[in-house]
Amino acid sequence: MLRIERALDILSLLCMIAASICLVVLVATFGWLVFGRYVLNATPTWVEQLALLLICYITYLGAAVGIHENTHLGVTLFRDMMGQRISVFLKLVIDIVLAGFGLLMMLASIELVMFGWDTLLPMLNIPESFRSLSAALCGGLVFVFAGLRAVFRFICLIMGRPYIEKGIV
Amino acid sequence: MGLTLLLGIFAICVVLGVPVAFAMGIAALSAFWWEGFPLLITFQRSVSGISVFSLLAIPFFVFAGELMLHGGIAMRLVKFASALVGHIRGGLASVNIFSSMLFGGISGSAVADISALGSILIPVMKERGYHPDYAVNVTVTSSIAGIVIPPSHNMIIFAVAAGGGISISKLFLAGVLPGMLMCLCLAVAAYVIAVKRNYPAEAFPGWHAVWIASLQAIPGLVTAVIIVGGVLSGVFTVTESGAFGAIYALLLTFFVYRSLDWIGFKTSVVSAVRTTAMVMVLIGFASSFAYLLALYQVPDKLSSFMLGISEEKIFVLLMINVMLLVLGMIMDMAALILICTPIFLPIVKDLGMDPTQFGIMLLVNLGLGLCTPPVGTCLFVGCAVGRIRIEETLKTIWPFYLAILAALILITYVPAVSLFLPSLLE
Amino acid sequence: KDWRGWNIHVEDYPVSHGMEAFMAEVEEKTGGEIKGKVFHAGVLGSQPDAIEQLRLGVMDFGVFSLGPMGQAVPETNVVSLPFVFKSVPQMYELMDGAPGAALGEALEAKGIVALGYYDAGARSFYNSIKPINTPADVEGMKVRVMNNDLFVGMIESMGGNATPMAFAEVYQSIKTGVVDGAENNPPSYESTSHFEVAKYYSMTQHLIIPECLCMSKKTFDALTPEQQEIVKTAGKNSTDLQRKLWGEREAASMKIIMDGGVEVNEIADKTAFQDAMKPVYDKYLEANPEMTELVNLFRNAE
Ligand code: NA
Ligand code: NA
Repeated sequence: MLRIERALDILSLLCMIAASICLVVLVATFGWLVFGRYVLNATPTWVEQLALLLICYITYLGAAVGIHENTHLGVTLFRDMMGQRISVFLKLVIDIVLAGFGLLMMLASIELVMFGWDTLLPMLNIPESFRSLSAALCGGLVFVFAGLRAVFRFICLIMGRPYIEKGIV
Repeated sequence: MGLTLLLGIFAICVVLGVPVAFAMGIAALSAFWWEGFPLLITFQRSVSGISVFSLLAIPFFVFAGELMLHGGIAMRLVKFASALVGHIRGGLASVNIFSSMLFGGISGSAVADISALGSILIPVMKERGYHPDYAVNVTVTSSIAGIVIPPSHNMIIFAVAAGGGISISKLFLAGVLPGMLMCLCLAVAAYVIAVKRNYPAEAFPGWHAVWIASLQAIPGLVTAVIIVGGVLSGVFTVTESGAFGAIYALLLTFFVYRSLDWIGFKTSVVSAVRTTAMVMVLIGFASSFAYLLALYQVPDKLSSFMLGISEEKIFVLLMINVMLLVLGMIMDMAALILICTPIFLPIVKDLGMDPTQFGIMLLVNLGLGLCTPPVGTCLFVGCAVGRIRIEETLKTIWPFYLAILAALILITYVPAVSLFLPSLLE
Repeated sequence: KDWRGWNIHVEDYPVSHGMEAFMAEVEEKTGGEIKGKVFHAGVLGSQPDAIEQLRLGVMDFGVFSLGPMGQAVPETNVVSLPFVFKSVPQMYELMDGAPGAALGEALEAKGIVALGYYDAGARSFYNSIKPINTPADVEGMKVRVMNNDLFVGMIESMGGNATPMAFAEVYQSIKTGVVDGAENNPPSYESTSHFEVAKYYSMTQHLIIPECLCMSKKTFDALTPEQQEIVKTAGKNSTDLQRKLWGEREAASMKIIMDGGVEVNEIADKTAFQDAMKPVYDKYLEANPEMTELVNLFRNAE
């Protein structure tokens, strides 16, 4: 279990690194756009469309990491009022729900990827599928992160020991 | 039935504690399934909801804010504020509020404002004999002024939600006076309590010190000048201004202040990714959610319902304010802007309200929601930074709520508060 | 069944009235068996999304500009070629004839049934510097165009600086000189108030891109043959209505523009502009040799 958790940490780290690189590229290419438009008087026309693609990867990879690290906003007030035992049970239910949603998100987004294959993104002239691919990745990652956490929670539950949470809870 | 399912599943998910963004996604997915739509529509809406050109300003604004925090600009702003207003009774509270105006003005994110200024100011305030609840309350409530003081990425979300017909530069100008008004109201509340609780004033450091502090702070303030100036002059688009501001902040902290090292840079990038992803994924699933609301014609129905109760402008605006405050208590800002704008904007337009003024009113309302339980990101972060329980701050926060409500009433019923500055431009 | 219709325009617009008339006729002639609602003002999302939804059968009908349609159905890019139509009346004639039918087949292959081609007018250049009479006048000018290689190429072939930019940014950008001008049809030029900041309107009429009243093939195939006939007739009638309304709207806009002190210049002989577009056609046909026949079908028509 510890080794799998370690692997998940690494996977999450990799996502974060990829998203960070996207952000740096986003800032750099936009710097180039401003320079091109105002100094060279020749606007690089691909920057805006590339930026719209990068923001999808920043969002969806970052969102998956947020699931792993428990950093998304949620109302925990009611859950916390329920007392220890129900709270443990609810956390398990939430992870199962999230994993199910992640799975559907992945499958439906893969359909979207297939469907968009012959539609091109303007200016970049690559299939629109590259955009929906980010959502498919996010779905798969959420499925893995939340699903395995649900499994761990369940194991901890039947072994009668507390599950150690990650991040802000 | 579909609408009941949408709202019901959303409510259940939120109460259970599912992250709000995913609760919206799950609710939308269920409603699409119920309507017999292919499920992929949920994600098509969500992907195209975030692939919007003007929303690209968000990562830039957020990144610029993170650089200011980790690159030492925030600290210089506090020193500047401290030199200017520290000698007032309860001086550190004024410093806190004034710093929020400066820093929150630039970053546009209330949460960034609290984690940046709170972590500098709350410990100092406690040390100087202020009670922790007071320190946290001042920090938390003043942070929301930054949402309406330009630049502000929430204004961009509003402009996008309004369908693109609203000028960002007009919104930026419209936010200035309401933001200052809120700070003024909060400063009055803070002063009265400070006198009652007998908090100290700082010694005036002398004009020379003020001069030095402002020299050090001005290059940092220029970040905001670049972004706002770029937009107002129309030289840059909002997105370009944001990118330029972020690059300026990077160069300033790295080469001029020399306070940004590799670790600081890495931290800034990672925090910016986290915040951007959190906001954008909310926007994405809120788009799926809003699509269904439009499909079920909720805006039309609600509008005829509300105008059926009364067509009196004062009363309808009051109703809208109350609804927004209640929604703000349980949901987060970005998602609510996207969902509420298409619902309420047509109503207030019918009543003859300027959409720009409505935008400011909406942001202040939802901003107050950030400081209230059960979902109050600012309140939570503030309490975490101040190491104090939420219940403790809530006992004494009401004068600050009242201060913001006072400002909100003026913003709602006196159009000039928002529209005076933009009218000068025309 | 309850149909959902997608429309980007506000409720009071020729396209919107055309769609409402279409739906009303279908409702009436099917005796209420088919009902529907048009969602105006783009509340159901952007055009590319709506096209995708139409193909999936989530949206039942809609009016789409054939410009952005090119991303999903490449054949429709042909009408985005500058000066492919000689005039608006010729556009009517071609789109109602064999060339329009050829596009209809291409659309149908992607799950879209074309019921009629609406008029979206002819786009002409406006700018804040000087009247454009020859292609050379565009040289060095910063012109905002829609996101499409063809339009970028069109400006570049005249020596201008093409600047793709969000539509909402254009007013402020012309006012402050970020761009010198843009191009659009009279109603858009007027309703966006762009005529207040760009005082020269040169009737180049370089782009005549029709809009298409489309229906989801999934929805269409589920109809009885009688219903299909009703829908086709209603589509044709609404097209006639929309074209008439468009003409009125355009005239009204031109009056506002003229009253606003705009200097409008007609261009009697467009040959110089048409010749300047040769690189655009060459580049397009080089990249899409399979379109040669279709392009000629339009270009060689009288
Ligand atoms: Na701000
Ligand atoms: Na709240």
